[in-house]
Amino acid sequence: MKVKYAFVVVVTMFALLLSACAGLGQSEPVVMRIGYAGSPDTLNPGAAVLAESYTMFELVYDTMYDLQLDGSFKLSLAESVDVSDDGLVYTYKIRDGVKFHDGEPLTAEDVAYSYLLYQNTEGYPWMGDYTYYFENIEATDNNEVVITLSEAIPNIDAQLVFLYVLPKHIWENEDPVEFENTAMIGSGPFKMVEYKQNEFVHLAKNEEYHGDVPKIDEVVFQTFENQDALVQAIKTGQVDMITEMPNTAVATLREDPNVEVVTGAPFSPGVTDIIFNQVSPENCPPDDGLCTGHPALLDRNVRLALAHATDKQKIIDVVLLGLGTPGTTLIPDGLGFWYNTDIKDYAYDVAEANRILDDAGYLDADGDGVRDMPDGSRSLTFRINWPSDSIDAPRMAELLSEMWGQVGVELEAQAMDPDALTAACCPAFDFDIMIWGWGSDPDPNLLLSVMTTDEIPTGSSETGYSNPEYDELYYQQAAELDLQTRKDLVWQMQQIVFDDAVYIIPFYAQNVQAFRKDRFTGWILDQPKVELSDPTSLVYVEPVQ
Amino acid sequence: MSRYRFLLKKIAWSVFTIFFVLILNFFLFRVLPGDPARAGVKDPRMKKEAVEAIRVRFGLDKPVINCFQSLNPIELGDCAVNPFDTQFFIYLRNLTRGEFGISFHTNRPVSDVLLERLWNTILLIGAGQILSIIVGIAFGVFAAWKARTTIDYSALITGLVAWSLPTFWLGIILLFWGSNNGFPIGGKATPGTSSYPFLYQAGDVFKHMLLPTLTYTIVFMGEYMLVMRSSLLDVLAEDYILTAKAKGLSTFQILKDHALKNAMLPIVTIIAINLGFTVAGAIQIEAVFSWPGLGGAIFEAVNRRDYPVLQGAFLLIAVSVIIANLIADLTYSYLDPRVHSE
Repeated sequence: MKVKYAFVVVVTMFALLLSACAGLGQSEPVVMRIGYAGSPDTLNPGAAVLAESYTMFELVYDTMYDLQLDGSFKLSLAESVDVSDDGLVYTYKIRDGVKFHDGEPLTAEDVAYSYLLYQNTEGYPWMGDYTYYFENIEATDNNEVVITLSEAIPNIDAQLVFLYVLPKHIWENEDPVEFENTAMIGSGPFKMVEYKQNEFVHLAKNEEYHGDVPKIDEVVFQTFENQDALVQAIKTGQVDMITEMPNTAVATLREDPNVEVVTGAPFSPGVTDIIFNQVSPENCPPDDGLCTGHPALLDRNVRLALAHATDKQKIIDVVLLGLGTPGTTLIPDGLGFWYNTDIKDYAYDVAEANRILDDAGYLDADGDGVRDMPDGSRSLTFRINWPSDSIDAPRMAELLSEMWGQVGVELEAQAMDPDALTAACCPAFDFDIMIWGWGSDPDPNLLLSVMTTDEIPTGSSETGYSNPEYDELYYQQAAELDLQTRKDLVWQMQQIVFDDAVYIIPFYAQNVQAFRKDRFTGWILDQPKVELSDPTSLVYVEPVQ
Repeated sequence: MSRYRFLLKKIAWSVFTIFFVLILNFFLFRVLPGDPARAGVKDPRMKKEAVEAIRVRFGLDKPVINCFQSLNPIELGDCAVNPFDTQFFIYLRNLTRGEFGISFHTNRPVSDVLLERLWNTILLIGAGQILSIIVGIAFGVFAAWKARTTIDYSALITGLVAWSLPTFWLGIILLFWGSNNGFPIGGKATPGTSSYPFLYQAGDVFKHMLLPTLTYTIVFMGEYMLVMRSSLLDVLAEDYILTAKAKGLSTFQILKDHALKNAMLPIVTIIAINLGFTVAGAIQIEAVFSWPGLGGAIFEAVNRRDYPVLQGAFLLIAVSVIIANLIADLTYSYLDPRVHSE
């Protein structure tokens, strides 16, 4: 009898398998399948933190401006904008006839409601930053939004670009922080079909979109928790595009005739930084500061020598397998216009590094192979820490240890839990050197603020660097409305922090993505930035005929 | 001791253990370093006020328990504070209402997050367990029956190799093989098929399950096989088996009626323990095949200091391990009446 049951089970399973294969065949919608290694944390735009969430927001919601792949902004939801002479009042004329995915009209009322919601909800981690300068937000009768600023700022486009417009008729009935927003009613080029956290996000095109309607019918983002599986999935055609991959997979994927690997500056550029603790005793934050940094790092000569002793190209070749560009300051090359291309990087020159240290009096007094402070008080032995979840940092620390060893500097390397590292970092300044990183806004303002004296006690300044001249320029550029003048100021500031060797920026990492050449065509690849999962590409791709 | 008293005693101990776990669970995560209001958010743009708002929302601004404001770093607080307004009491009160709290990371109720994941894990690991138990026991019996022959030795070696294979390595190998042969390698189902007929969906999930289940079965089969074989060999060396042989019973009859029941005892222990941990999922397999199970949820929650999810998950695991052990104890007393008379 038991044998018979087993037979029945096997037959049933086969039947299931067959039906699984037979279910397809009718007129299929054109579906773009995208593999990625994450999942949104939440679909509530105010509460979301992860980049994966923002990818979905860009596709499903409208904003006042769209960020282009060349780093510029284009009006999207508004058809025109009128700026008052003093630069304080912006009047946006919202397009007529825009509809939310549920058919309700989108009006200036919804826009003003959304902006006020972002500004007034305390539980939103950083929407408050983007609405900081908004003194008054008002919707007028003829479908206009009037934003009055508390002071004239040069970059209102960069403030509005992440403020997604939400439907008032839905959100006003919900708790703004706890609302899960799984139905995600927006007005963007794609609309939500189904969402399963940590499994997939399924979107369909919005036929009534006010801009260009997507050429494909559906987009599916599928989560692969394992990067090897992601690579294997595109190789075998289970997905049509992948948004990330380990650099080690690039060489093999490039050999695949059906797969094209693309690299370029990321949409949200990132920067990896080697941070020197150079907070001076008088700037040590009175409440939280421990300020245990090595005194030698306060000396520009030491930082300069370390910069000369750092072979950035080798780090890029070993750590990133060549997929990066050498960095100069915190402003990454991905910011295009704002990135100072005039800066000439310090040459990798061990002899020069040794000469600088010799001249500055850091000699190896006790003959143990490690240089000592001029007064002999302690050796040039630095602690170097990095977040334990970083893949690149351990190898970087190893390389630095080797490179700086050649100039008589010793490193004590130790990975730290990211939380513990935050606690040691700032504003405690309880470290010597750290390897960490930043993601950048499209506007350079935030990363420039990191090096100002004002940010030392707040915890945003990682180095404790303080330079009145730099601070002055920072406030000037933050209020400069003329684009070209502001750019000159921003470039000047980069030159200053570069000359002072505040950081060593080993590289700006590149975005590495891949798509199947035999499936879809029309990807936007000729721009300074690469992001295949952005509407800039997904609206225009179409199946290969 | 009567059977009922034995049963009552076991159940009482289980309840006590669960209560102990409840309390331990709370303090265990509070002594971990790191601020849950900041963990996972490495962006220093997050202002102090925003962090404070999150702390208030999740009750993290309240003292952990009387006299202690925080446990890591240890920060003494007011001992005279209203005990009903401490994190510990609120935790207990919510538990009695069946509430595990809201996940810090995903903003969703923990019970929703865990329940969704729990079914996925039970589906995958349950199938793997059943298969590996059946195959492992069958091979083990067969090997013991053919003891010290080529069949036995090859089964022994296969079992040892399978058991010592690193799970993730075997998973990756099968993933490479499977992806080249048309098997899906990620997730539980093909996205966008939730409106398809039930049979289609079941078949789709079945296809997605094949590779991870196979991985699980190969690794765990070895364990069951080895234990079954050695346990059965022990029994077969007993005098009463010799007696049975002398009575002229066939080998099959000896195995079926005399040896197997006694040889099952150690296997029951392992099965019970493994079944208890079924709920915890197999983190490695879930990670390799992107299976949306509990193991992955726990891993993610640890990284993000998502206390509510961790508390909920650990409670779930503890309860299932305790219940599985209780069932094992009861099965013992059925299989071997000596157990409850001791």
